[in-house]
Amino acid sequence: MSPAETPAPTVETLEDCLQALHRLEGQGRRADLNEVAAFARITPAVADQALRDLQARGLVRKEAGDAVLLTEEGRRQAAGILRRHRLSERLFADILGLPWDRVHDEAMRLEHALTPEAEARIASLLNHPETCPHGAPIPTADGGVAASTARTLDQVSPGARVWIQQIAEEEPMFLRYLASLGLLPGAEVHVEEEAPFGGPLLVQVGGARYALGRDVAARILVQEESGAPAALRVRARHRHRHGMRERARGD
Amino acid sequence: MPITCHGALQDLREEVQLFIALAGNPNVGKSSLFNRLTGMGVVTANYPGKTVEVQLAETRLGDRAIGIIDLPGTYALGGISEDQWVARQALLDGRPDAVVLVLDATNLARNLYLGLQILDLGLPMVVALNIVDQAQARGIEVDVRRLEEILGSPVVPTVATRGTGLDVLVARAVDRATRPTALPPRLRYSVDVEAAIAKLEGPLAARTDRPHGLSPRAVAILLLEGDPEMGAWLAGAEDAEELTRLRDEMIAALRDVRGEEPALLLARERHGLAGLIAAEVERRESRPSLLADRLWRLTTAPLTGLPLLALTLAGIFGCLFYVGDWLSTGLSTLWATFASPVIRWPFLTLLGDGILSRTLLWGFDAGINAALAVGIPYVLTFYILLAVLEDTGYLNAVAFLTDQVMHKMGLHGRAVIPLVAGAGCNVPAIMGTRVLGNMRERVIASTLVVLTPCSARTAVILGAVSLTAGWKPALAIYAVTFGLALLTGIGLHRFLPGRGTGLVMEMFPFRRPGVLPILKKTWVRFHAFVVVATPIVLGGSIVLGGLYETGLLWKLAVPLRPVMEGWLGIPAVAGLTLIVAVLRKELALQLLITLAMVQYGPQASNLLSFMRPDQIVVYALVNTIYIPCVATIAVLARELGWRRALLISAFTVILALVVGGAARLLMSTLG
Repeated sequence: MSPAETPAPTVETLEDCLQALHRLEGQGRRADLNEVAAFARITPAVADQALRDLQARGLVRKEAGDAVLLTEEGRRQAAGILRRHRLSERLFADILGLPWDRVHDEAMRLEHALTPEAEARIASLLNHPETCPHGAPIPTADGGVAASTARTLDQVSPGARVWIQQIAEEEPMFLRYLASLGLLPGAEVHVEEEAPFGGPLLVQVGGARYALGRDVAARILVQEESGAPAALRVRARHRHRHGMRERARGD
Repeated sequence: MPITCHGALQDLREEVQLFIALAGNPNVGKSSLFNRLTGMGVVTANYPGKTVEVQLAETRLGDRAIGIIDLPGTYALGGISEDQWVARQALLDGRPDAVVLVLDATNLARNLYLGLQILDLGLPMVVALNIVDQAQARGIEVDVRRLEEILGSPVVPTVATRGTGLDVLVARAVDRATRPTALPPRLRYSVDVEAAIAKLEGPLAARTDRPHGLSPRAVAILLLEGDPEMGAWLAGAEDAEELTRLRDEMIAALRDVRGEEPALLLARERHGLAGLIAAEVERRESRPSLLADRLWRLTTAPLTGLPLLALTLAGIFGCLFYVGDWLSTGLSTLWATFASPVIRWPFLTLLGDGILSRTLLWGFDAGINAALAVGIPYVLTFYILLAVLEDTGYLNAVAFLTDQVMHKMGLHGRAVIPLVAGAGCNVPAIMGTRVLGNMRERVIASTLVVLTPCSARTAVILGAVSLTAGWKPALAIYAVTFGLALLTGIGLHRFLPGRGTGLVMEMFPFRRPGVLPILKKTWVRFHAFVVVATPIVLGGSIVLGGLYETGLLWKLAVPLRPVMEGWLGIPAVAGLTLIVAVLRKELALQLLITLAMVQYGPQASNLLSFMRPDQIVVYALVNTIYIPCVATIAVLARELGWRRALLISAFTVILALVVGGAARLLMSTLG
């Protein structure tokens, strides 16, 4: 599709695309036009246009084989957007009491509207949380992200036993579907087999065998040892938020 | 027309004294059980806008009429996927007197999750501990008495494919349904969760407007899980401000204390409970794994999986072509020998040998004959094969092995199944795309199915091209079509918004399929196909006959000249047969020969007397690519909506014209 047919992407769209690239990078995955488009809820054609726009602004660069990478400046800006997104999610979940499976959608709107001052106020109101309600880390104000030791399930070799730490998936229905199958944080996973040529994994969870596509496995963060998932441990440390929310509601 | 579920449920409920629902995970033998319990009078119903169906039937026990509803096989109840939503809704709407939970005795821990949800809803339950024979073969003994105690529900060991234990099961279910006084099971979640439930139960017990007459505990659990239907009810209920505030407070409190969303927390605790119950009642003897199981593992092992898949696919194609061909010839001969004269006689006697009677005979004689010759034989054969593949669990191995290729087209492994079906007939293949997760995947897969040459198009390719231009051009047509399908899939993946759902699929151990369940399954599907296809074949053939008999057909050919003669380089009348062939693809060839004979005299039965080999190649190519037939368009519209059906159809017409014209230019350049 030629650029002339596609209207110029909005700032919101550009920010959504940056955010999508940052998320994919964080999961160690190659940027895929369809993934970016799906995240930003636009057509791949518009996403293509947006990526060109970002390239023109020096925020992304294209490498051989159509790989799209964030530049240093792009990564900094993307971390800022991701921070506003995850802070907004916390705001909706903890202060406004919105159901946890709706906060992602609401945050997708609010994140574009926050000024640096509002962002700082929200962060301090929430007592500087480290993770979003789904357990993913919130980048710090200077764009850093706490180091994670977890790997994704698709990097685990057959024969290994691992424990699910977190599922990086913000489609609530999909999360719940996985949960109903027993694939939830803390569950033990035995990787039995790998289909040839980068095909799906065959895993055993709680007595049942499942085939998981590579893309699905790439969204499941796992750790080598059992025990409470990191996300839950982090949440428990921030128990004192509770009192604060009670105060906020009491007003 | 699909029957709406709500209406069908109400009707059945009024007719019978007792109403029993069958629930269970996929592939635990639930359908076998349903088929054993019921006769042929099965009604299939859907909820508007949903494609997952429930089956309803009536059976008798003594002087009692019992209604049975077969829910879709699901791992859980809820709004997550369509099958889960339908199962849940049918349970709530149907208000069954008892729910028969069909468990796979070889995998209790995973199967009990659904049972715990049914108990949470407060529905009286009876457990069919199915496939106990296979559990025993694998060294698993289940303590039935203990399981009954824990669940507070009767447990009956069964082997549904052989009918073992079903009499006892029905008796216990009737008993359970008629004496709803049994003690409620004492299964409890963690203290935090129970405290939250108890807080909500109080105000809920005081309300008389609880949805579906559910118990206070059931509503409390659903509210904590963030169930959308209960949320909507609460939002619209009167005097519910206090309750709403309490719910929000309980959800927030659980989230804080446990650091996890209540929806996930309940899922986790249910899995935990299910695992504890399984550990308590199961005794597992370590035994060397069964030979069948070890062989079955070869279907997904890296070295043996793909060769076995190639063998199986070759077997399917072989069966479709040979068995289908044999049925086709047999049925056509039977029709021509016995039915045709009987049908022709009254028309010709009563109406005389005029335009009207001949037109009607196009439909009632030739039309039905064509259906018997092409549609029905291949569809029936394919459905039997499909049922065998499904009941053994092999289809899942196929999906596992092809996932990577399908990925390039925005699909996942399960899409390969309808594509294989499409080579027989596109209509059931498009219905088969229901196994896919979302509409985007179904649109891509359906488009690919439409581009898969079905048996009727194969007949035209082989009958017209191979005989006149040799096997190489015929093979080239297949290659071109395959390439176009691949490119279309990749293109759609690039341009359609959204993304695939990814493969998440249970892999089953080998199951020996039963003959009766396979025949019954085949019949249910085949019946649905005949109901859709027959009126279209009849009506279409009659319209075509009318045009032919009145001579209008020739006048209609005139406006086609620019496209057919100017662009594709084929005679306009031949182009006309292409258009008429939208009714049934094999008609293209039949009509071409008939028309040729009328135009140029009997010696024209050899197509070469009025078309050159290169024209015939273009003709067959266009016929292969453009919209399969009206039956396919109708089923596309039913499954995907009219707008998408028309878009796909228009796309294939344009593609056919472009590729046909390009092929003509290429061939004239190359000489």
